[in-house]
Amino acid sequence: MSDQTHIPAGHDLAPGEEEQHSVGERILGYVVGLVLALLLTATSFFIAGTDLVWQPSIPVALIVLAIAQMGVHLVFFLHITTGPDNTNNVLALAFGLLVVFLVVGGTVWIMSHLNGNMPPMDQIMMRQ
Amino acid sequence: MLGKLDWSAIPFDQPIPLVAGAVVLVAILAVLIWVVVKGHLPYLWHEWITSVDHKRIGVMYILLASVMLLRGGSDAIMMRIQQAVAYQSQGYLPPEHYNQIFSAHGTIMIFFVAMPFVIGLMNLVVPLQLGVRDVAFPTLNSVGFWLTATGALLVNISLVVGEFARTGWLAFPPLSGLSYSPGVGVDYYAWSLQISGVGTLVAGINLVTTVLKLRTRGMNYLRMPMFCWTTLASNLLIVSAFPILTATLAMLLLDRYLGFHFFTNEAGGNVMMFMNLIWAWGHPEVYILVLPAFGIFSEVVSTFSGKALFGYRSMVLATMAICVVSFMVWLHHFFTMGAGPDVNAIFGIASMIIAIPTGVKIYNWLFTMYGGRIRFATPMLWSVGFMVTFIIGGLTGVLVAVPPADFMLHNSMFLVAHFHNVIIGGVLFGAFAGFEYWFPKAFGFRLDERWGKAAFWFTFTGFWITFMPLYIAGMLGMTRRLQHYDVAAWRPWMIVAAFGMAVLTIGVICQIMQLVVSIRNREALRDRTGDPWDGRSLEWATSSPPPVFNFAFHPDVRGEDAYWDMKARARQQSFEHDVPEYQDIEMPRNSPTGFVCAFFASIMGFALIWHIWWMVILGGIGAFATFVVFAWRDHDEYVIPAEEVARIDRVNLEERRSLVSMAGAV
Repeated sequence: MSDQTHIPAGHDLAPGEEEQHSVGERILGYVVGLVLALLLTATSFFIAGTDLVWQPSIPVALIVLAIAQMGVHLVFFLHITTGPDNTNNVLALAFGLLVVFLVVGGTVWIMSHLNGNMPPMDQIMMRQ
Repeated sequence: MLGKLDWSAIPFDQPIPLVAGAVVLVAILAVLIWVVVKGHLPYLWHEWITSVDHKRIGVMYILLASVMLLRGGSDAIMMRIQQAVAYQSQGYLPPEHYNQIFSAHGTIMIFFVAMPFVIGLMNLVVPLQLGVRDVAFPTLNSVGFWLTATGALLVNISLVVGEFARTGWLAFPPLSGLSYSPGVGVDYYAWSLQISGVGTLVAGINLVTTVLKLRTRGMNYLRMPMFCWTTLASNLLIVSAFPILTATLAMLLLDRYLGFHFFTNEAGGNVMMFMNLIWAWGHPEVYILVLPAFGIFSEVVSTFSGKALFGYRSMVLATMAICVVSFMVWLHHFFTMGAGPDVNAIFGIASMIIAIPTGVKIYNWLFTMYGGRIRFATPMLWSVGFMVTFIIGGLTGVLVAVPPADFMLHNSMFLVAHFHNVIIGGVLFGAFAGFEYWFPKAFGFRLDERWGKAAFWFTFTGFWITFMPLYIAGMLGMTRRLQHYDVAAWRPWMIVAAFGMAVLTIGVICQIMQLVVSIRNREALRDRTGDPWDGRSLEWATSSPPPVFNFAFHPDVRGEDAYWDMKARARQQSFEHDVPEYQDIEMPRNSPTGFVCAFFASIMGFALIWHIWWMVILGGIGAFATFVVFAWRDHDEYVIPAEEVARIDRVNLEERRSLVSMAGAV
């Protein structure tokens, strides 16, 4: 509904709605995001195959790079910022993360229990 | 050419579904012919089928839910009769038919009765309560409704073409896997839920956005009516939980269609993962259903007690607490599946904790009634009936949240009694309360109180007579889903339950009679003021039925109970309404997108079920093309000129002024 008389109660804006900036600034934002994303991707591929670093640190490095990648996407492409006009989006993100954490964490915990206590028949046979 | 579909799919040897199907088909054909002959088709098409008006879509959701309630109710009647007669005998339903009936009953009641009913009420009321002109995405709203209808259609087609799942309403593998369910039953189940699940997700996104983004001037979060809060919580749960259902069913379908091994017994599949995932959706789902009902009771209790809701902020807090904690309890559905004591203990405690915010709500409603001037109109009867019933259901829920007790009661009739106790006593009573309460708003006339009260009392007593015996049968060791049994001790309770079912049926007939009588007496029951119950929130500030634009001006909200304040101010200031400056209003144009999209989705769903691949492609292309055509549309709005708005609004203002001055005189 593009009803312009309509004033939302807060000053909360939808992602993509906050652009008061000029087109040039917006393009710059996307370009920076793209470059950072590419850089992080390239680094991940490089790290995975390299022997320049201590080998057991590679998985940790990949996880860190992946989280950084998510951050870049959230900030530059999904326009999640910490500004006061963005409370809803930050809250929605937090709620989403909480749910994912609960469901995935809970599932891993529950399934490890179930797998430990209720293994398939052939594994029970092997234990005896 | 037609995949697995041939004449053997029609159950010629089974008279019950065939006769039922034939009767329904004849009825549908008769209605269609009547519509065409009487020339109502253009009206239906322009005013309802292609409508993107949230009120119309809400009404259609509720209509769908009501029709499906009759279907699910017929299943229930058949099951109660079967269990009453099938003592040391086969009863009248063959086992494979009985299994389809309890599966269809659960699936229909949850997905195609409870869900559309609450979503319909939310659609109808929430934009009005927020003081806005429509939901955030009106056409998407229509798409959501029609996709839900597609799911319902597919489930009902399974009655005559092929079969329905025999697996229970959640289709647990390995029983629902290809090796144990080779027929099309599980495919009907899964595809109808996938398609209607998209519809539900779309409705959820729409309503969350509406509550967060479209509120009238001054409508802070903490001034929203309680129903808007529970709508927000419920739809947040839809948005976060329904993708889990979709993913889980998608994996089950991959197992069945493409030979994957997510949930098979062999090749590294894990059936327990299905239980885990489906309940990670399934438990939030019950709160998706019951939270809007809590909102309805809050509105009804406060209106009919003539008082502001007691403890508004604690109610908001309780709602949001339920919203979060509902994602921490799902394991209690499978305590018995082999998790260790620490897992069971923690999920058991979380399940008991969630009763605390619910208890807070009960006390808030009681304190709202305390000292109020209570009017026992039909919606209020449903609300009080709910409080009594739901407390018992909640208590037995806390009981089965204790893992050792659950080990005794798991999958027994006690459990069946418990969840009917909370779903009928909570969700269905709430839906009926909301139906009675908001019907005048939707159609401009009140429902007949005599028949409404009769419907309440028959349903209420019928419920108790039907489900209390099931608690006892559960205690006596009767498990659920029994096609026949040999234990004499269970028999009397099953007969009592069947008798209760008869009383419940009278309640349903009273409800239908209420509708018929009210429509015939609609002139006498006409609501001219738009405020038949002396309401408190903004939906009562506009006429009944509201004009297509809802409000000529965006109302200015200055506190909780916005409309109550407006009425109070109007009385004090003897109504010096400065004649407002009317403006043109832009409204979204109607669009057949939803209907056409759902038409192709139905074709695609049916083709997927029967492995008719060319038809799958046809349906898929059609649905996508519909979306493309819609995305490239040029005109999406039309303008209602200011004079027209003024004309409509003045009529309403006159009625309202006379009401307020009358109330002032008294």
